[in-house]
Amino acid sequence: MRKTITVILLIISVLVPFMAFDVLPVIGDPQSAPNTHVSDYYIENAIEECNSPNMVTAVIVDYRAFDTMFETTVMFLAGLSVVIILANKPKRRIPAHSSLRRMKDAGGRPIYKTVNKDVMISVIEPVILIYAIYVLFHGEVSLGGGFQAGALIGMTYLLDIMVVKRDRPIFDIPKARAAAIAGFGPLIYALTGIVTILGGGLYLEYNKIPLPIHHAELHSIGITAVEIGVTIGVAGTIITILNALMERISFDDDND
Amino acid sequence: MTLILQAVLLLGLIGITVAIIFGKDLMISVVIYCAFSFLTMLLYNIMGAPDVAFTEAVIGVISTVFFIIILRSIDRKTK
Amino acid sequence: MMTMINTFLATKGIYFLTLVLLALGVAGIIVCNNYMKKLICMNVMQVAVIFFFLCLGQKSPGTIPVAMDTAVKASQYINPLPHGLMLTAIVVSLGTTGVGLSLLLRIREKYGTIEEDDLIRREDLMTRKNKDGGDRK
Repeated sequence: MRKTITVILLIISVLVPFMAFDVLPVIGDPQSAPNTHVSDYYIENAIEECNSPNMVTAVIVDYRAFDTMFETTVMFLAGLSVVIILANKPKRRIPAHSSLRRMKDAGGRPIYKTVNKDVMISVIEPVILIYAIYVLFHGEVSLGGGFQAGALIGMTYLLDIMVVKRDRPIFDIPKARAAAIAGFGPLIYALTGIVTILGGGLYLEYNKIPLPIHHAELHSIGITAVEIGVTIGVAGTIITILNALMERISFDDDND
Repeated sequence: MTLILQAVLLLGLIGITVAIIFGKDLMISVVIYCAFSFLTMLLYNIMGAPDVAFTEAVIGVISTVFFIIILRSIDRKTK
Repeated sequence: MMTMINTFLATKGIYFLTLVLLALGVAGIIVCNNYMKKLICMNVMQVAVIFFFLCLGQKSPGTIPVAMDTAVKASQYINPLPHGLMLTAIVVSLGTTGVGLSLLLRIREKYGTIEEDDLIRREDLMTRKNKDGGDRK
């Protein structure tokens, strides 16, 4: 009964606003409200003020730097809360499904132990990591930035844990230590802000960094430092959540 | 042209959501969720937001694997 | 014919489909019996909201928001503000999905199920047992 009422109410809630859609701007016209007043300033001044052709990175990390700092902190807190939630010692680990254990390849070995998979992954991983570093440092010139680079590094760690069967993963980080590493991200972010204050500017005002470099380059240095903080925060959080979830579930390659 | 493509992709997303809601097997729901994230990445690309599409692609992969890690401890059949 | 479809989509069609996706997300959370499906539908709602924000910043003549040359005219480029907002929203949604899944794991360990009705039944069982236990002591 409860479900039919909800479905009916939802159908009504979809049809009623149909009449009111002309309040919203027509998609794609340059003169609509969100596209005229404020955004023109950011589009035209992104290069002069932030020395970054990629306007999205300029908005995220230069105009909105203070707000992105707290986004990174939120990301770190999510990793921390996963560690706290899964902090208790479970009575017994939840065994994986037996259906996964029976899969055998031609040689009778379990499917996931074939060699070529390990070799392929070990070859791909450094390529992804190099790409992540490229995405990080080219954040303001081409597409990319701290968030994408951190997610890529997290994905490499995930690829390694899930696919390659080693007794210990490349860097064996328990969930608590990974959360500590994730903490460095917001720390670096906040410290760059304090450095700009020492240089006599406002918090996170990059052209006041006390380095004897041309004004435009200061912005790039500030943006790169902050992007490194974001990358460490996001990558650390993803590794923390991964480790926390993986430690609770015994996988079939644990007990043989 | 792009608007029609966006509409088609949105219809695809709606179809996938309906399949997830009325599906019985959780593993299928999670795999369809990965397809959902892929279509979303296509949608953002068509709309001219490559940065957001890049992030959605990577985050979609990672969240799908999170779901699959959890799924190993939960029986796949649901009422 | 094409322009008629385009104008219909631009003014009402796309917004209607986004609203349907959002409503499906909400319906999924309410109707689905399994907690993991509720989490997936939560992510579906997230995508619907993000798509709506990106729709507002679209400019038909504009290209992607990376400035090709220094002489920048605002109408040539797509509005970068919603992109910046939504990029961080997607990354934070990964964090919340992680927290939701770890809670799901704890529920699975404590109650042995993640179906809503079994869970409510076992919850009542446990509270009644604790209450009886309390009285006898």
